[in-house]
Amino acid sequence: MSLLMVRTTLLLAWLTATVATPALAEIGRVKSSTGAANVERAAQKLPAATGQELLAGDWLETGKDGRISLTFVDNTRFAVGPDSRIALSKFEYNATTQKGSFIARVERGSIAVVTGRITKTRCDDMPVQCGMQVETPDGDIDARGTRFIITVRK
Amino acid sequence: MTARGILVCAALVLAGCATSSVVLLPEEDGGHGEIALRAKDGKGGETVMKDANSRATLGGSQPSVRPLGARGLKAEEAALLAALPPPAKSFTLYFKEGTTELARESAGMLEQIRAEVASRPGAEVQVTGHTDTVGSDADNDALSRRRADEIVGWLATKGFDRRAMSSVGRGERELKERTADNVSDAVNRRVEVLVR
Repeated sequence: MSLLMVRTTLLLAWLTATVATPALAEIGRVKSSTGAANVERAAQKLPAATGQELLAGDWLETGKDGRISLTFVDNTRFAVGPDSRIALSKFEYNATTQKGSFIARVERGSIAVVTGRITKTRCDDMPVQCGMQVETPDGDIDARGTRFIITVRK
Repeated sequence: MTARGILVCAALVLAGCATSSVVLLPEEDGGHGEIALRAKDGKGGETVMKDANSRATLGGSQPSVRPLGARGLKAEEAALLAALPPPAKSFTLYFKEGTTELARESAGMLEQIRAEVASRPGAEVQVTGHTDTVGSDADNDALSRRRADEIVGWLATKGFDRRAMSSVGRGERELKERTADNVSDAVNRRVEVLVR
């Protein structure tokens, strides 16, 4: 391979890694679900089947008889209750430094959370927002390493 | 809470006032963290929940926090906790010097890992290889990667989907036991397997 070809290949690899990866990086997986339970991704509605991969920006949606249990790559764990609509608005995680930022939005319904590495690694030196925030229509919460339940009134 | 909100709640008290709430619970290992609450209108500033087993009600300008008390969790809240996936479990396997061959004491652990993966629906496996400080950094990066791949390969022969498994080699960057360079150390020659 000529040096130019090597350079072009490296450049392409770099472009793919820097442009394509962040949008497609898997942030977690569905572990189990019952009843009406979907993952909404843009215009797509995917059944929340065991093993379904999750991406930042996905919405979790359950019907009256629906539940979803899931885990994230930083070991955060979720149980989503019936009649819920929850956005995984932002999830950025560096597996090496174990730092990152997770923002979820509970539009309606209920959720139990055990926080993961994202809330356990101090990030005073980070210039941007870090840790885990959950937004609700009635207020926002900042989870500082713990286990909690949020219920949003109907 | 607005005067109207209080009236609405008062009317609904018998049925259980439907207000958004946050329950802070102890962690599974006994400790617990904190939760900071900010009401939507933002005028009340930040309220910090510090005590485990407490409930905060959102919706007013200032969230109110009180102990869970004798009434404890609501039935739906208990059902949510029961539905949480189990915590990730980690295993450490040790290796013979300079090889991808398991140390004798670790041979039995493979079966435990296999059983753990099999018991979890939608299991994911994250495998991280390490070495001691004998040899060059480059050789150790490669060896640690081969150790991790060896375990992933073995799990694949047991029928687990490679797409749910990942492996990475950390060489001698993350010593379990800090040693000088070129020191043979059985504790550092390891692979960590996280099952989630």
